[in-house]
Amino acid sequence: MNASKELKIRGGQAMRNLSLSVVIVLFFVPVLSGQELTGEEIIQEVNELLSPSTSYAQTKMTIVTTSGKKRTFVFDSWSKNEGEKNLVRYLETKRVKDQATLMLNHADDIWMYFPRTQRVRKLATHAKKQKMQGSDFSYEDMGSGDAFVTDFSPERLEDEKKEGYDCYKLELTRKPESDIFYSRLSIWVIKENFLPIVIDYYDEDDPSYLEKTLVQSDIRMIDNIPTAMKAVMTNKNDDTQTEIELLEVRYNVPLDDDMFTERNLKR
Amino acid sequence: MKKWVVALVLLHLSIFPLAAQERVELFGYFESQIMGTEIKSNFYHLYTNKLRVDLKSRLSESIVFAANFDYITYHGKTQWNILDFLAPTVASSVPQGMEDFYVLPFSDRSFLDNAYIRFSHRYFDLTVGKQQISLGTGYVWNPTDVFNIKDPVDPTYEQPGHNGVRLDMVLGSAYTLTALYLPEDTWKNSAKLIQLKGRISHFDYAFIAIEKVWRFHDYTRFDVGSMNFLELSERRQLLGASTAGELFGLGVWAEYGYNRMEDSEDFCELVVGTDYTFDFQTHVMIEYYRNTLGKTDYEKYTLTDWMCLFAAEQKAVSRDHVYVFIQHPVTDFLSLGLQTIHSLSDRSFALVPTLNYSLSENVDVMAYVNVNVGKKGQLFSKIIGDGGLLRARVYF
Repeated sequence: MNASKELKIRGGQAMRNLSLSVVIVLFFVPVLSGQELTGEEIIQEVNELLSPSTSYAQTKMTIVTTSGKKRTFVFDSWSKNEGEKNLVRYLETKRVKDQATLMLNHADDIWMYFPRTQRVRKLATHAKKQKMQGSDFSYEDMGSGDAFVTDFSPERLEDEKKEGYDCYKLELTRKPESDIFYSRLSIWVIKENFLPIVIDYYDEDDPSYLEKTLVQSDIRMIDNIPTAMKAVMTNKNDDTQTEIELLEVRYNVPLDDDMFTERNLKR
Repeated sequence: MKKWVVALVLLHLSIFPLAAQERVELFGYFESQIMGTEIKSNFYHLYTNKLRVDLKSRLSESIVFAANFDYITYHGKTQWNILDFLAPTVASSVPQGMEDFYVLPFSDRSFLDNAYIRFSHRYFDLTVGKQQISLGTGYVWNPTDVFNIKDPVDPTYEQPGHNGVRLDMVLGSAYTLTALYLPEDTWKNSAKLIQLKGRISHFDYAFIAIEKVWRFHDYTRFDVGSMNFLELSERRQLLGASTAGELFGLGVWAEYGYNRMEDSEDFCELVVGTDYTFDFQTHVMIEYYRNTLGKTDYEKYTLTDWMCLFAAEQKAVSRDHVYVFIQHPVTDFLSLGLQTIHSLSDRSFALVPTLNYSLSENVDVMAYVNVNVGKKGQLFSKIIGDGGLLRARVYF
């Protein structure tokens, strides 16, 4: 029995943290005393909580353009090794049905499968800058799960209330050696569970220019993990918006390595 | 006519028992397009309607059946005289009285494009039936693909299915061994392929060996028996390799095929390409292609060279080519681009501005204009015809 079959039998499973943002998932951890925590410790907690060992999700993504036009996509996604391996397969729309993207090594290796030509194309890391189906999420947003700690230096600022939650506020500045496409991030992390509730993304070249903002909502406990079931990414640059809604989520599910291969990409 | 009726009946017989089990997926698209070309100061149109119906069914845990049926109708100018596109010096080599045979007709057609069963095991996939074969890493040209020839102006369009038996064996986590057999009338005439694909660091690579009988025609001689141009065939053995990965932040790929011919001179093909996406979302791609079967002097292009190119029996008439593609998403659903295809050998080129627009969730519009810049007789000359294409596709 292959891995995808196992998933169906189990009625679906968990999605990986979709990166710097999107679907934010957290393991439950004891609440630590915020007074003693440094920026490094907070972001480390966030990163660990965003990285379940395996996950599956079915997600609805709605793009809203400046003129109010909407496009809705539905996709399945699987993640393994704390987000090191990711597979996304589209269910809807009909136009993109069965298109799939495999991301390994935290999206340093990307392959795309086009079902109409049955061709798999290897993409270089620059392709991570491209928008995912024209949405406000780039492939990098979807796959670079450990970027908070590997690509940024955190600084804790004064605590703030955000979206009704008591939050730690962190300023993440891109490390000089990093090639990530944001110069800095501002993150508001819920004190109670280390869930980032709002993230501001700043332009790669101009750290004063706010490019995108992610706001998460509808937090539920899924398999004992606090999960934001909805997220909205607003692109200040293009005046567009992309909404993400989790239709189904499962965490820590058994996933075969065979699932994250070019062979499985074509199935 | 008889063929498509049989195909339709087979498809009908396939769909309904499967649909009854409620496990069959039915989907596809309708495509309507208009293509225009200027010939001798007149602008002619060819309208095409295409209906593609796909079905896919998972018959059991390990068995999948998939097929698609295409029905295409042509309207407008459905008879194109190839000689109109050739330089007078080339057209003059047509044997007297044979001029009418160089007319390319577009007749309504319907056919079973793909129809296969795939059996999947933990260690292998076995696919039997008509199936697409996609080989190589090149975007426009694929030296290791002896089964398909892409349209350089529209390289991502789907390729036809080929009847065959394919075995993909898993060798560890990063390697796949593929064996493919495309049966003809005898074992000797059948095509055979073996390919090893793997991954090292951030690079994919593949080694491939193919043997097939290459069928083409001498377009200056007529075979009364078949009422067609004289068919020539020759055994072709290809040894090739391909790779794709990243170097200094750029996407890079390369593909090489050495063709050992039974009678004629051996030849080789090479593709090298690179691409990059800028922060402002503009995507740039460059691909170089060399085919030593092509000629360096355009005055040596023969009637048969041109006809083999038009009939997709040969990938190129000139030796060295460069393809450049720049595309920018103007809005979330609109992309504008510019393709240029250069023949470095005869110094002619085509400029092809492109537009892709997502009209609604399941409706796409694609358009391009092609402008040729070259002297008469060169690969891209005015006589080849400036023109364009507008295509709308509805997915269901």
